[in-house]
Amino acid sequence: MAIINANKTPDRPAPISETSVIGWLHKHLFSSVLNTFLTFVMLYIIYLTVSGVFTWGVLDATFVADNRRQCYDNSLTGACWAGVFQWFNNIFYGRYPRDEIWRINFGGLLLVLWMAPLWMSRVKGKVLVATTAVVFYPFLAGYLFSGGDKGWFTQIMVAGAITAFAFNMANMLTGLFRSQSLTKFLIEVLGQQNASDKTQRNILLLLTAIIFGAAFFWQMGQSLQPIVWTKWGGLFLTLVISGVGIASALPGGIILALGRRSELVIVRVLSIGFIEVFRSVPLITVLFMATTMFPLFMPEGFVLNKLVQVIIAVVLFNACYMAETVRAGLQAIPKGQYEGAHTIGLGYWGTMRLVIMPQALKYMIPNIVGSFIGLLKDTTLVSIIGLFDILGMLRSISKDTPWLGLHKEPLIFGAILFFIMCASMSKYSRHLEVKLSAGRTH
Amino acid sequence: MTDKAQPKAAKRVAPKEKFNFFQDRRVRSAFYQLLTAGVVGWFVWYLASNTAHNLSVRGMNTGFGFWNVSAGFDTDFKLINYTPGIGTYGRIFVIGILNTLLVSFFAIILSTMLGFFIGVMRLSSNWLVAKVALAYVEIFRNVPLLIQIIFWYMGVFSVLPVVKKSLDLSFGTGWMTLNNRGLYISTPLPGELFWLTPAALGLALVGAVLFRRHARKVQNATGRQIKTLPASLAAIILLPLAVFLATGAPLAWDMPMLTGFNFVGGTSLPPAFLALLISLSIYHAAHIAEAVRAGILSVSEGQSEAALSIGLTPRRVMSMVVIPQAMPAIVPPLISNWMNVVKNSSLAIAIGYADIVSLFMQTALNQAGYAIEMVGMTMGFYMLVSLTISFFLNIYNKRVQLVER
Repeated sequence: MAIINANKTPDRPAPISETSVIGWLHKHLFSSVLNTFLTFVMLYIIYLTVSGVFTWGVLDATFVADNRRQCYDNSLTGACWAGVFQWFNNIFYGRYPRDEIWRINFGGLLLVLWMAPLWMSRVKGKVLVATTAVVFYPFLAGYLFSGGDKGWFTQIMVAGAITAFAFNMANMLTGLFRSQSLTKFLIEVLGQQNASDKTQRNILLLLTAIIFGAAFFWQMGQSLQPIVWTKWGGLFLTLVISGVGIASALPGGIILALGRRSELVIVRVLSIGFIEVFRSVPLITVLFMATTMFPLFMPEGFVLNKLVQVIIAVVLFNACYMAETVRAGLQAIPKGQYEGAHTIGLGYWGTMRLVIMPQALKYMIPNIVGSFIGLLKDTTLVSIIGLFDILGMLRSISKDTPWLGLHKEPLIFGAILFFIMCASMSKYSRHLEVKLSAGRTH
Repeated sequence: MTDKAQPKAAKRVAPKEKFNFFQDRRVRSAFYQLLTAGVVGWFVWYLASNTAHNLSVRGMNTGFGFWNVSAGFDTDFKLINYTPGIGTYGRIFVIGILNTLLVSFFAIILSTMLGFFIGVMRLSSNWLVAKVALAYVEIFRNVPLLIQIIFWYMGVFSVLPVVKKSLDLSFGTGWMTLNNRGLYISTPLPGELFWLTPAALGLALVGAVLFRRHARKVQNATGRQIKTLPASLAAIILLPLAVFLATGAPLAWDMPMLTGFNFVGGTSLPPAFLALLISLSIYHAAHIAEAVRAGILSVSEGQSEAALSIGLTPRRVMSMVVIPQAMPAIVPPLISNWMNVVKNSSLAIAIGYADIVSLFMQTALNQAGYAIEMVGMTMGFYMLVSLTISFFLNIYNKRVQLVER
């Protein structure tokens, strides 16, 4: 009598409640009387909302019209998207001259290309890429957007930006195709692998100097039509303010956070005072302070334009919030790291730069993305003090004669735009959080 | 004693530290602090001297003399008496503060209730309910508050029917009506003996509390449970009602009446107030919901499993085990949200609700022109509010920690 069965007993299928759609429905939607009731209530609410919005926004809506009257002639109860479509360029670029809009698009494309290597795992030298983007790109973009005569400093910076961009792109290509940094690749091409480090460095420096010189002479011949900042507007202006805001708030926040954790009493007290003052007041009061009080602070005859005032206010405000983000990141670093760094003889700045910051910044990235979302949303406040950012543009549609009184549609369009930007960024930051925390051991 | 066995270690003489002025820690620390103080001090002095110069060049007034100067403009919404031309700027400041606090107070209450509701919905075992709550949170968190405020103001409260066709929100009694000039609510006018009713209510409440305490004592001593809810509810409802009727129902209503082109009587809330209140509540409810959800999730699952296994009902698990442990995690973000409600109420300026920023920092500043003082006073008010709130938050945190350990 064989006790052992030679054939494997077939696996029993998973219970129907675990696999089938009906099982899932029962478990998640109809598990009890109350749940069934709730499900139907929710279905009804969803039906009401979706059908209402769909009828108003799509079925009864007017997409092509010359003015609001024509929208009404088409349908009285539907949305009038035609007004939004006619103002499309204004919403995105403000009153920037139509023939020069390529400059904004080109500037945006440059930034995307410049930052693209940071997301490519095969490309080397990411720190350098990020540093050059922060140091050089603003000047290149600033000149692209505003044009006009170049001072010698701008000329140098623009030439530097072109050089950096060229190296960055070449580095990306060598990284992508050969998994190699550009410097190694160049040395190899020139056949100098066996030369001493010093020779290699000199060769690279020479090459940089040549490209820089070429870029410098090339840009001397180029000149762009000047465009006053008052013509800037729309989503472009929103992104400029929040972009400059976040790029400058980060270093400011790091300094303030270090100051707050410092052992030096005076430094600590000053940092805490500064951070707490700006964190306890609303942004709009800081913006008002900037526009009413900055002119009084400046020496007589020195006038800051409103855009610069606003940017300074936004940077000060956000540096204080960023300081708290950085502080949280610093506190997440175990004390042993500081002590370890001290035992190998690093001083304060060495500890911070080589040991603490690289780890802390990694933890902070999701929160930094979060602050950027907050900043992007807060930037709409500049429309209150009279800048025509995206919200300012959306609101002026209703003051345009053909579209008089068209409030809802532009605002909803703006809301959708912000929703897409902010939701995708927060989704990305959550993804980063998961990805970065995967390597954490403690 | 093993000490004796060991040879006495040679007394080590600490190497005489050479005092190096440039390498000494204390000298450096003092130097850097003085340097910082010097730079900051110089910067402040520079700004102050520029400002003083600019003020004198432009012939602008300084000081707080404007406090008692009468202001010439009116505001459409005020909680205290004020007449343009007679009321002072000081009064304007108080009106602004009261308006800010009023809208923040109601927005805090509404957003907290809605936020807890949505936060619990997000954790529902019903998939659809959880997803609807998620959609709510994602939509309202990711759209700038300012756009929401303007939308409610321009898109909803400004396109309501005109006064003649007011919407009646109280089923035809005219007790509460809504039109494009705002919400009109009738106000109760207490009669002579009305004070007895709230007194009775208070008495009933005290009685209920005492009864509950007694019931708990009995349960602790004997294990016998006494049902307190029906008796307490009956007392709380019936006693004041009986007193109210016995005294002859001494309560009249000041109804908003349509006289000519507008409503007269009752209390009216302007559309800007309503738009601000609703958008603040909805926006912050989304944030509070996330705090509530995170707080409840921070209580480990073992806690509720253990509570279930000792036979508590799911409702008791929630109220006696999960919520008390989740509260310490919920309260700090909740309170920082409340602080944000107060700060964000300053966006009232976009729709013309007379809060402190739009009334005092903009209108009054444009009229009187004491830029530094007025901006300073407004910021000072917000700082005071946030300091007060964080003071109470610290007290709470300390108490919670003491309970824990």
